[in-house]
Amino acid sequence: MAFGVLVSLLPLLYLMIRTTQMGITELTDTVLRARTLELVANSLSLSTAVCLTAMTIGTAQAWLVYRTDISFQKFFRLVAILPLALPSYVLAYAWLSVSSKVNGFVGSWLVLSISTTPYVFLAVTAALRRHNSASEEVARTLGRSQFNVAKSITWPAIRSAALGSGLLVALYTLSDFGAVSLMRFDTFTRAIYNAYRASFDRNSAAALALILIALTLFLIYLENRTRTIQPRTTIDQFRVLKTKLGSWKLMAQLGLTIWFILGVAIPVVSIIFWAVIGQSKANLGEISRAFINTISYGMAGGVLVAFFGLAIAILVVRYPGSNSRRIEQTILITHALPGVVVALSFVFLVNQSVPIFYQTSALVLLAYLALFLPNAVTVLKVPIAQVPIGIEEVARTLGSNPTQTLRRIVIPAAGPGILSAIAFVSLTVIKELPATLILRPTGIETLATRLWSATSVNAFSAAAPYALLLIVIAGLPALLVNREIRNVQNQSSLEVPASVSKPEPSEVK
Amino acid sequence: MSEKLRLTGVSKSFGTTSVLQDVSFSVTDGTLLTILGTSGGGKTTLLRLIAGFDTVDSGSIVMNGREVSSESMSLPPEKRNVGFVPQESALFPHLSVAKNISYGLSHLNSTAQDSKVSELLELIGMGDHRNSLPETLSGGQRQRVAIARALAPNPDVVLLDEPFAALDAQLRSKLREDVRAILRAANATAILVTHDQEEALSIADQVAILRDGVVAQVGSPRSIYSQPIDVELAKFLGDAVVIPGVVHSGKVATQLGDLIPNATHPEGASGHVAIRPENLYLQPDPKGLAIVTGRQFFGHDALVEVRTAAGTVKARTSGPISPEVGMPVTVWVRGSVNFYPAN
Repeated sequence: MAFGVLVSLLPLLYLMIRTTQMGITELTDTVLRARTLELVANSLSLSTAVCLTAMTIGTAQAWLVYRTDISFQKFFRLVAILPLALPSYVLAYAWLSVSSKVNGFVGSWLVLSISTTPYVFLAVTAALRRHNSASEEVARTLGRSQFNVAKSITWPAIRSAALGSGLLVALYTLSDFGAVSLMRFDTFTRAIYNAYRASFDRNSAAALALILIALTLFLIYLENRTRTIQPRTTIDQFRVLKTKLGSWKLMAQLGLTIWFILGVAIPVVSIIFWAVIGQSKANLGEISRAFINTISYGMAGGVLVAFFGLAIAILVVRYPGSNSRRIEQTILITHALPGVVVALSFVFLVNQSVPIFYQTSALVLLAYLALFLPNAVTVLKVPIAQVPIGIEEVARTLGSNPTQTLRRIVIPAAGPGILSAIAFVSLTVIKELPATLILRPTGIETLATRLWSATSVNAFSAAAPYALLLIVIAGLPALLVNREIRNVQNQSSLEVPASVSKPEPSEVK
Repeated sequence: MSEKLRLTGVSKSFGTTSVLQDVSFSVTDGTLLTILGTSGGGKTTLLRLIAGFDTVDSGSIVMNGREVSSESMSLPPEKRNVGFVPQESALFPHLSVAKNISYGLSHLNSTAQDSKVSELLELIGMGDHRNSLPETLSGGQRQRVAIARALAPNPDVVLLDEPFAALDAQLRSKLREDVRAILRAANATAILVTHDQEEALSIADQVAILRDGVVAQVGSPRSIYSQPIDVELAKFLGDAVVIPGVVHSGKVATQLGDLIPNATHPEGASGHVAIRPENLYLQPDPKGLAIVTGRQFFGHDALVEVRTAAGTVKARTSGPISPEVGMPVTVWVRGSVNFYPAN
């Protein structure tokens, strides 16, 4: 467990040491360049644009499918979260293969908006579910118009969900590497990767990473500040009012359909199209090798991360206190850092201390541990918390010591939950791109890296099978597992849905 | 006394399911009408039609002399001047108690709002909760605030939808009295729907019984309880002993003796009489033909099961002097009874 926490902290610590070693003049020279300013401008404008788009569309979607009389609600509810099955770089590939004109800022904006809107949708939907719409009826009888009620009663109920998820979206956009690198839009992540790749200019890469960390921490700070607790509605069941849209219905229906076509239909059709075109030329050997590597990394990563995650989850759930809270917060820091930065800091660290580890699968797994430990802890806390403390106490009175109780009672009882946590992390690992790309041993390719390199050279038909495989073996299952977990969490902890309905950032990294 | 609300021939269906048929009644200014019905009987729909959340299929609703609903028009809820208290208070969770109450007072300046809020807080006895948030209040307190919020804009009619259903029994009866007092102090005209007979009878000026979407009977609590229009209602409103009888020279001949009907019926008509358990009197009598077979003791009174020639009946007796199980008794019926001729 301590090892897990240490691994989480290493990258950050090391980057700090590294940059302080550079000397003030070199650091300021690297940082204070016109180029840096351009990166800041690019990263921030993209984050802002994506954040606003996702917030607007996600909130509108949630309200339309949950609180109006719109047709095909079930269908639109499903397609609203379907983009979660498409990693950002798969979407970027799909759109690039439709038209090469979709690139740069506009391309990144489109793709990342599609990727992140589901997070806003889910958060706002959860807030709407907790909101008692009978209070809107009361407000109407107190003399307020429908619009005024939406402003004074409905919006306050979903405001913190919309703003909070919006800031998370900005955070994901800032840390995304896959989409911006394929769209060739120079944000920090792409620049850091290029600086590292092109010249092995580690100092400049490190300095840029430090600025990116600063921006990230600033956003986390903002996100924490907006995270006010939604006042709990004082009831547990109530009717849901459906607003009649009247003449607006057609337009709303059209809007939802267009977003579905842009976000899901066009990308999926395009991928299938290219897969069919390139079918005859597909290199089956290459594909199956990448497939096996991907599955191996996924399973090993899942088990490793879940193992440490379980230890921390047990500590956090069973021994709550300031220490366990501190541990939980510590591992969250690395989670918020872009994958590129975490991978890079492992490169620096290993080269300096144990060069023999450089470009080994062990290092790749270590990076997964740092990146995804919080996901595992979040998911594992629920099954552990569901084991009634009473059965543990009974086990103790029957002669089991704490370790035996854990092994014979708690872990078996939480078994299904632990398995689904392993599956969840494995699927997340399979979709991971930047850390795998930077740290993998020479010659080892995964589905994600193959897709990325083929797209980089516009080999669209060669890339298609990888995109398809990624969606089928990782994207869709992840969506299902995620939904399952969300359901369980909603049932088990009705009082704290605000935190569990927060999406896991990993999926867009 | 003037009429504050009148429903005439109101009908409503959802799809092919008819929920309300030809409902008519009126409410007098400053009185409380309770609508008593089984769940799913159309009570809530009726309130929602009056509030303006749903539209009537036919019939009309006139409020304070102004038609608010008919086949052809429906005034939106914000134009009706009704107060609404839903089953689970539905306080605005992000607003303080004072802000909840003043929500419907936006037409007043802040001084006037403040004094109105203070006045209402005083009325509901929650002066020290002015700035509390709803989630910090107990269930009963929330319901009081919801009532104050509904009363604030001086509505023509206050509508309460099972306001006590979510509370536990003890709190319920206490709050019931308080709400009655609050409504009276505010001189409000109110309609309260409930499925609880005791609740409907204990606080109402008038009771309307809604059965399968039809108003079965309207009247004062006393008349409703003592003279239900049919056997089914008699049983719905409380325990009743129902036995067959035949009219014979002005009395109803039954196996519990010749009873006095509270209306005149043609000679020879046969049907049933319904007797409330409290109208049965058990006289300890060694030669009595009835035997006490069971007893539920409640302290202040007891429900005694007696095997008679008419079958087993339940009689309510004074607790301390109720007869023991096995004791022979003679059963007397006190006062007049309701006779329902068979058709």
